[in-house]
Amino acid sequence: MARGWSGMADTLTVRTPGHTTVQDLGRTGRSRHGLPANGALDQHSARVANILCGNDERAPLLELTALDFACVPSADILVAVTGAPADVTVSAAPRPQWEPFVVRAGEPLRVAGIRQGLRVYLAVLGSVETEYLQGSCAPDTVLGFGPALRAGDELTLRASCPPLDHPYSRIPLFRLAAPAAAAFPATTWTIDVTDGPDRAEFGDTASRLFGAPFTVSPRSNHIGLRLGSEGRLPRRTDTGEVLSRGVPIGAVEVPAGDELLVLHRGRGVTAGYPVLAVVTATGLSALGQVRPGQALRFRHRTLDEAVTAYRAQRAAVDALRARVRTAFDTLRIPVHAGG
Amino acid sequence: MTGHLTVKDCGDSAVVARAVGLDQEAAWRLVHTLADALDAVHLPGVHGLVPAYDALLVEFDCADTGHETVRRLLWHEAARLGVDPGPTAAPRRFVVPVVYGGEHGPDLPVVAAQLGLTEGEVVALHSGSDLTVRCLGAPAGAPMTDGPPFPVPVPRLASPRTRVDPGSVAVAGRQAVICPMPSPGGWPLLGRTPVRVLDLHADPLTPYRPGDTFRFVPIGAERWGEFAGVSLAECAEGRADGPRLVRHG
Repeated sequence: MARGWSGMADTLTVRTPGHTTVQDLGRTGRSRHGLPANGALDQHSARVANILCGNDERAPLLELTALDFACVPSADILVAVTGAPADVTVSAAPRPQWEPFVVRAGEPLRVAGIRQGLRVYLAVLGSVETEYLQGSCAPDTVLGFGPALRAGDELTLRASCPPLDHPYSRIPLFRLAAPAAAAFPATTWTIDVTDGPDRAEFGDTASRLFGAPFTVSPRSNHIGLRLGSEGRLPRRTDTGEVLSRGVPIGAVEVPAGDELLVLHRGRGVTAGYPVLAVVTATGLSALGQVRPGQALRFRHRTLDEAVTAYRAQRAAVDALRARVRTAFDTLRIPVHAGG
Repeated sequence: MTGHLTVKDCGDSAVVARAVGLDQEAAWRLVHTLADALDAVHLPGVHGLVPAYDALLVEFDCADTGHETVRRLLWHEAARLGVDPGPTAAPRRFVVPVVYGGEHGPDLPVVAAQLGLTEGEVVALHSGSDLTVRCLGAPAGAPMTDGPPFPVPVPRLASPRTRVDPGSVAVAGRQAVICPMPSPGGWPLLGRTPVRVLDLHADPLTPYRPGDTFRFVPIGAERWGEFAGVSLAECAEGRADGPRLVRHG
């Protein structure tokens, strides 16, 4: 590609920022130093978006939360949009989610009307330049790292893309059949959990977790979701003192008040509340999509069921990666698997 | 010796190992040396270790490894280490100035009342002995230490604060902590240090390790500016630039 001559890198200019951050799969391996993982709250959708662009699954991409977003590239780019249903357009013409497509230099790419779920992921072939902290670009709001994008921000593209679009028609270039996230329900979500390590401390009240549905409080975020219920909450029967200890992402905690707490990827690594249940790995991706005000029910899974479901999801992603490579090789698109 | 370890599943992507039947010190040493041992093994799929007071959380990707594999590794390493693996790296001592009470420690009167002590007695106990860092915890790698020798455990606040100022010095149960960054918190606040706990440009972000000790030194509010912005790393004993921090006595 004859772009290096000017010395000017190609960019993606933010027009409508919405609530958008540069994100990746998280800051793993630092929990011993007290740092939470953070990273894309819907890991599955984020992974698929990057893979659809031929990127390493850990490459930086954009996480759009709830609000409309628009940007314009200075060069032709290949992008993929996954996550919650939304209206995706290029120069006002609709484009699919869960398949890669081309945006020509100067054409506005718009994601509007995010619905049913909460988060949309936008990956671009080759990814974008960004700042790293401790091995990851994932925002950490407690540390004050990773600002939200603002109108006018220019993201530098790490690679440019050869011209790809079909020259004579608008037929889609790809039919990669990406494994979309589980259904985005119009009303009530089902979130899978397994037993937590402290379940016994709740006696017979533990089963209340699977009774009435819960409503997600507006005070929920990437650190944790607060859940209220019309029904009675589980109660700890043991009153012994709890020493702080490591708690997993997905821990369902039961404080003394009238809400349950479900820890998500921004959670502090230690806590003192007993852990009644733990949301499964596939359940966490779904939980990353639940909107404040929506209802959810917990569904009990055995450990085997949970692990099997997650392995199936990852195997489907691996199979997609292989299909993308084949398609990209055929079209002579460079694959940026190194991240 | 595996008789001193229980391992429980903690969801599909973690297990928690707990030391049992050991005194507090030996339990703490076991879970931390176990974490060191697991770190050295680099088992594929294991991506997080949180050793705390008496428990070790092991986080992994269950597509890459499994509960049985991690459990077997824990048993194996625990058996290899024996009951009491002994002390680890040479500890360091941090001497940290704290303004107690008032706007900096709004819960000091309540805690004093709960303990049946005067505010002065609470301050004297909190600053009267070296407190050992047991783990780096929430939020943001906060140094979690043993609590001061209070007569009874300190209850958590009924309603957690939505924002706790950085440098706040808090206690709960039989634990104590310095809060490195602004964050929500349910622990009663006794005071606040002007010293900067965390450095975003350092790796690791915090200068202390489990096993290091903290000694808090009361200072008057009028001396806040003297220490404002000083990094905690400079408060380590033996640092040439450290002793100016606190006038003892």
